[in-house]
Amino acid sequence: MILRRTLVLAVVCGIVAFSVLAVQLYNIMIRDHDFYEEKAIRQQTRTVAVAASRGTIYDTNGRTLAKSATAYTVFISPYEIQLYSTKEYKPKEIHYGDDPELIASGLERILGADHDKLLEQMKDTKSWYKTVATKIEADLADEVRAFIDEYNLAGVHIEEDSKRYYPNGDLACHVIGFVGTENYGLEGIEALYDERLEGTNGSVVRLVAQNGTEMLFENYQNYNDAIDGNDLTLTLDCNIQAIAEKYLQQAMEANYIQNGGCVIVMNVKTGEILALANANSYDLNDPWALPEEVQEQLALIPDEEERSAARTAALMAQWRNMAVSDTYEPGSVFKIITMAIGLEEGVVKENDNFYCGGKIPVGGIPGRITDLNCWKHAGHGNQTLREAAMHSCNVAFANIGMKIGAEKYDEYVEAFGLMRSKTGVDLSGEAASQWWDKKYFEDPNNMSSLTSAAFGQTFNVTPIGMITAVSAAVNGGYLMEPYIVKEVRNEDGEVVYSKEPTVVRQVISEETSALVADILESVVGDKGGTGSNAYVPGYRVGGKTGTTTKTTIEVAENRKEYMVSFCGVAPCDDPEIAVLLVLDNPSSESGIYIGGGQMAAPYVGMIMSEVLPYLGVQPIYTAEEEALLDVTVPRLTNLDLLSARLKAQEMGITLREVGEGDEITAQLPSPGAQIAAGSQMIIYLGQSAPQEEVTVPDLTGMTVNQARNVLQNLGLFLDTAGASPAISGVKVASQIIDSGQTVPYGAVIQVTLVDSSNLGRY
Amino acid sequence: MDSYSPSEGNTGAQPEYAARELRDRTAESRAVQRGPIDLPFLLLTLLILTIGVIMVLSASFARAYYKENDATKYFVRQLFFAVAGVALMLVASRFNSSFYRRMAMPLLMVSLFLLALVPFFGTGKSQVGANRWFDLGITQFQPSEIAKVAIVLAFAHMICIYKNQMGTFKYGVVPFALILIVTVALLMLEPHISASVIVIALGAIMMFAGGTRWQYFAVGIVVVGLVGYLVVTKMAYASSRITAWLDPWSDPLDSGLQTIQSLYAIGSGGLLGVGLGQSRQKYMYLPEEHNDFIFPIACEELGFVGAMLILVLFALLIIRGYWLAIHSRDRFGALVIVGITSKLAIQVFLNVAVVTNLVPCTGISLPFFSYGGTALLVQLVEMGIVLAISREIPLRKRKNEENGEK
Repeated sequence: MILRRTLVLAVVCGIVAFSVLAVQLYNIMIRDHDFYEEKAIRQQTRTVAVAASRGTIYDTNGRTLAKSATAYTVFISPYEIQLYSTKEYKPKEIHYGDDPELIASGLERILGADHDKLLEQMKDTKSWYKTVATKIEADLADEVRAFIDEYNLAGVHIEEDSKRYYPNGDLACHVIGFVGTENYGLEGIEALYDERLEGTNGSVVRLVAQNGTEMLFENYQNYNDAIDGNDLTLTLDCNIQAIAEKYLQQAMEANYIQNGGCVIVMNVKTGEILALANANSYDLNDPWALPEEVQEQLALIPDEEERSAARTAALMAQWRNMAVSDTYEPGSVFKIITMAIGLEEGVVKENDNFYCGGKIPVGGIPGRITDLNCWKHAGHGNQTLREAAMHSCNVAFANIGMKIGAEKYDEYVEAFGLMRSKTGVDLSGEAASQWWDKKYFEDPNNMSSLTSAAFGQTFNVTPIGMITAVSAAVNGGYLMEPYIVKEVRNEDGEVVYSKEPTVVRQVISEETSALVADILESVVGDKGGTGSNAYVPGYRVGGKTGTTTKTTIEVAENRKEYMVSFCGVAPCDDPEIAVLLVLDNPSSESGIYIGGGQMAAPYVGMIMSEVLPYLGVQPIYTAEEEALLDVTVPRLTNLDLLSARLKAQEMGITLREVGEGDEITAQLPSPGAQIAAGSQMIIYLGQSAPQEEVTVPDLTGMTVNQARNVLQNLGLFLDTAGASPAISGVKVASQIIDSGQTVPYGAVIQVTLVDSSNLGRY
Repeated sequence: MDSYSPSEGNTGAQPEYAARELRDRTAESRAVQRGPIDLPFLLLTLLILTIGVIMVLSASFARAYYKENDATKYFVRQLFFAVAGVALMLVASRFNSSFYRRMAMPLLMVSLFLLALVPFFGTGKSQVGANRWFDLGITQFQPSEIAKVAIVLAFAHMICIYKNQMGTFKYGVVPFALILIVTVALLMLEPHISASVIVIALGAIMMFAGGTRWQYFAVGIVVVGLVGYLVVTKMAYASSRITAWLDPWSDPLDSGLQTIQSLYAIGSGGLLGVGLGQSRQKYMYLPEEHNDFIFPIACEELGFVGAMLILVLFALLIIRGYWLAIHSRDRFGALVIVGITSKLAIQVFLNVAVVTNLVPCTGISLPFFSYGGTALLVQLVEMGIVLAISREIPLRKRKNEENGEK
């Protein structure tokens, strides 16, 4: 019986039981393997994101505009601090120095974190992550690391992060834009090209033990490499941008501009934006900071909610890119377009006669005819088309508009990209132009719309739209798509996107376009032209002024608020660049006559005078111009007296010698300074220059000669900018250093010259 | 047909049995001629033991490192007990079966006495707060381990005494049932369900092999089933184990935790495993990973292939055990081997069944694998007893048997 029953047991215990187990193991290990493994791995792994490095933004010369660099985040783990600071949990041999008080005071010392807030955070002992400081620099992170090592802290951690740097501060701030704390683009190129810039974050999957520490021997690691963001190269040129911003700022200050102002420099042949600036600039490294005066005003608002709303509004205004997001009445600048249409359509010829008696009756039906006034109420009399453009005659252009006819006019304005479409520039927030409904515009009853449109009033365009249309009028007739990002490269440096100049359409013929450019040159360069203040000696600058009263404000509030502008092109024989300067609401308190010719044209001229040489356009001077050019002060202190006299003579500089002897011990002004032609240099023989301070006199209203003499008597020097001294009647309109301020003896005082012989709201 | 008992109707001329019967009767009075120990059984034991000790190293080092700051702490202790255990096994294999028969009843008395003491003087380290151990300073000692061996020896001895009356209720059931009831009652004072289950199963198998009639087992199963049902429903911790068994995910962080983590480990293994030493579940995810739940770590690291290899080795050892029982020289030896082999089988089956959630979770260690000094010593001494009895199988007969099998 034992044998038989033992055999039964052998079968049951040795075979049947194990077969049951084998089936069960098969089910778990083979059949349901994936199910369990997936769940197991989920609990055993921690995924740590590896941040992709955000792409760099370069200007056209490869200068860095925005780049990312490593920064650090410090955080504490209240759970770990509590765990390792309690008596119950002290692994042998390893001593953790976690102590809430120690950590709080240490982090306060290094990072300036709030001691009490830290202690408060540590009370949430279920949390593994409480942020202490973000985006700190490497040196601070090193200090925190040393602190962790010193006390062997288990609950203080450092994480890598990245931070966006803008090396040029506020330069081109509205173009570049900035990122938020999570490194997402919020404004400008940073926002518009966010997807390309941000790259793809990678991840590292690590195995961790149940207590959260890393496993001793990792046998499962999964790297998912981060793909760095693309680098962008802009058409923007930092040097041109700096020039544009400098003169925009000067224009804002000299003209007492109360609202905004903007300037755009465009390559007329390609549509590339070389510079784009708004007056309301801000530091990209601290975009949330408001100017002090704004902060003071905000502090006066008692209600917290209102203050917060006002603060938000102020920030939005600060970040607003007026050049593309706002529209304005272009005024007489638009006569360029009207002229181009008229010439292209053949309804007017260069030498056609236009009579201006100061006003013209317009209107389609009897009883609704009103008089349209020219800005010059006395009238311009008989004039050719070229002269009408030079005079900016409203009557003549209203006539041209009527000759073209509403239907054609509407067609062409659309073809110039100025309505029912945007320019398509790759800048965020581009606004659309405001133009009449086609049916309304073409209705003969609304003829006044056509006549006012013909000289740029009662409709709105964006500055970017205006300069793009002007570019088309002078570049051979091709409407270009303006753009700012010209190349995108991936992390390996391969070009993944490249923007070629895009012709949207040809609007006018090359012949017409050449004639338009030629007439624009007359507006600036010929005697009697309203754009004379934009004249740049040696260069063929053309352009058109613009002055409008804001229709909406005039109608609603019965007061006048002006918009002055100037759009320049150069060189007129083969235009390369266009510069548009728009100034919103100048004040008569500036003492400068309110008008684009007086307020905007000089600064466009100054921008041209620096940008054209920078772009390699060679100046060709007339003899008269050459004599009036600024002189660059030579170094004479290393020469003997005789050589110095010879050199001065060569350069057409007169010398005043102070002291006795043969050795030149000092000179005024310093070498390299620019001074007006005809200035007298001072050299000191055996003695040093006087170290006294001089009070700057008021030079406004003086002629060049007067100003130079006044300064020379005080031991100061004159440098002129703006309208050419060659134009008769130019006077000092403003000076960089205000009167009453003191400067060292021998300083150079820069003044802006303006031709005020021909005042008017043109 | 009982080949050991010609008196029970075997009239066939089988001189071999007659000689064995003769030896049976004189076994206690004179030394028998002894052959070598059974080599396959020894080698299988040593092979399983070696794999088991290696798995202790692999399974325990993470916890030992993090919690004890000494990655090899458990391994070194287990290795020490393994070496000591092998020595004791070889010593145990030197004794005659008559020695063990003399020891049977005293050992039972001692183990019952110790079991009676444990609830009052023992220490507990289980999560249910039961007292199951005596702290002996260098190691802890679980009297229930001794009780299981004692039951095997005592029942074998008693069956030999009642060999002709085993078919009756009075002799074939009552004495055995009484001993089991007393033992289980003492175990339940601790309380210790898993030991009770093993003791009952072991007693039943001994009685079955000894010749107790089928009908009584049917009654016994009903009785044990009823009592078991009461225990499970009345004892809070037992019933929670049942709930966790039926649906471990109903309480994944507490009562279901062990089972879930065990399944994760086993399931992660796949066909070939993640590699020796590479388990991830042992990083404190799976509780008791070097103890009762060492087998899931083996599954995770060695895969289905490795796990099956281990089970096959166990199966071979068990089948070899029963083979030795069938061929042992006398009734007592056969019954002792059946008991020890069956105990091994029960423990292996229940352990693997628990970790695979085939049965409710209860603390049953895996022989030769689970970390634990006294359990390993006792286990190896038991193997030593089997080997001792294997020596008494006549050499010639064994040879014949093996030739015949070929």
